[in-house]
Amino acid sequence: MGESTPPLPHPDRDSRPWWDLLAGHELRLQRCATCGAWRWPPRAICNRCASFEFTWAPLSGRGTVASWIVNHHAFSAEFPSPYAVVLVRLAEQDDCKLIGSFAGAIESLRPGLEVRAAFEDVAAGATLLTWEPASAE
Amino acid sequence: MTAHPFRDRAAIVGVGATPYSKDSGVSTLTLALRAITAALADAGLALTDVDGVACHRVGDSAPASIVAESLGVPDLHFFSDQFGGGSTSHAVVGAAATAVVTGQAECVVCWRAVNARSEFRMGGTGRPPPDQLEFQYQVPYGYATPPQQFAMVAREYMNTYGATADDFGAVAIAQRWYAQRNERALMRAPLTMEDYLASRWIVEPLRLYDCCLETDAAVAVVVTTTERARHLVHRPVTVTAAGWGSGHTLFSNRRPDLGTSGSAAASRRLWSQAGLGPADVDVAELYDAFTPLVLIGLEDYGFCAKGEAGAFVRSGGTGVAGALPVNTHGGHLSEGYVHGLNHLAEAVHQLRGDCGERQVAGAEVALSTGQGGYVMGATSALVLKRD
Repeated sequence: MGESTPPLPHPDRDSRPWWDLLAGHELRLQRCATCGAWRWPPRAICNRCASFEFTWAPLSGRGTVASWIVNHHAFSAEFPSPYAVVLVRLAEQDDCKLIGSFAGAIESLRPGLEVRAAFEDVAAGATLLTWEPASAE
Repeated sequence: MTAHPFRDRAAIVGVGATPYSKDSGVSTLTLALRAITAALADAGLALTDVDGVACHRVGDSAPASIVAESLGVPDLHFFSDQFGGGSTSHAVVGAAATAVVTGQAECVVCWRAVNARSEFRMGGTGRPPPDQLEFQYQVPYGYATPPQQFAMVAREYMNTYGATADDFGAVAIAQRWYAQRNERALMRAPLTMEDYLASRWIVEPLRLYDCCLETDAAVAVVVTTTERARHLVHRPVTVTAAGWGSGHTLFSNRRPDLGTSGSAAASRRLWSQAGLGPADVDVAELYDAFTPLVLIGLEDYGFCAKGEAGAFVRSGGTGVAGALPVNTHGGHLSEGYVHGLNHLAEAVHQLRGDCGERQVAGAEVALSTGQGGYVMGATSALVLKRD
């Protein structure tokens, strides 16, 4: 398994800035310049106020775990089991959610667990988001 | 109050299916042709009667136009080739019914044909298709296959409403009882709670028996006007209401949590169109790619309050003598996985009274649903009635 690398991001014209920012270890998200709503995944328009104006604004990187999965079945050799994927509600906005891998102990996962974002470089120019328990200072 | 103009004006007059297997040995085109011709034979109609075609697929099956060409449909009045998996299943038949009610076509064949085990398994881990926009955000994390996506839904449903493994297991066990009385079903061995709990984790909180059976098969139905249906072979099953609705992508904002599906909003419109409510339903075929979807479906279609479906299933409520028999063919979990079309076929058989030992006595009204709208972001369902 040592030789296999996970599938890398395949950006499209909407998502390219997101992946490029991550690769530069910058956690920024689209934020509507008109109503201030955060959104992810990247889109040209705000689905609250229909504004096309937005910025890529910095995030605190703090959030809480809304849900998670623990993979046991080996769907592919690139992802040795068990491993977790988490769905995180952002501190900035409850209904804006990001996913990522989980850097803590799988047994510690519970609803509402406070987490913070970290970067995981998986290949040259390719970085993923991972979440670690906020208590692990 | 006048009746909704769509209500009961189209009917399902034919049902056909290929055998279900792990390797059909033939193309999806061939599967489609076999199921469609079987459905037409069931209806007592000929290929020359067909003037419309409708199917759904996710880049894994023959296009509707090629199927029409292969059948020799001389003059296609209506076609609908929809992108989507189970969420879309009932939208396909809803579109066909709309076409016949509005006079765009008179006889539409609808189908789903998949080699979902031997050729194209749902959700690979390679490069995402360009029309599945959100897939790109999941694939690099090893979060792409349906069990992974629906485990995320299951966990939030458990977190929010307190559902347990016993609740999920009760769904699998109840459906296996029906499958044991269904010759078409792939899984007919007895299943106990002990077996369920001992089955291996696929993606926690989903075990093996929480997951549907990837299947090679096709199922087809024939839709025509109710007026014409009354002169055909079987007592017609009318389309009382067809519902479309929004769902969740896995990241949707403006939705409270994954524990409530898009069906919660869509079902209110569906019942209103039908002029009926949950209490009028004799049998429900609820989309069950994974066990928690049955619980969420029971709640979001109004049969149970949120968080109460688990207790309802555990008390036998969905059994053949229960208050609401559910997934009476064994469902995707135990019959086979034809992405919602086999649910519709079973609903028609129940309303015709064809189901032998698993027949729900006096079934007159059925609900059949597509997937509740997760991942795709859209959902669909039908209410059917014996004419």
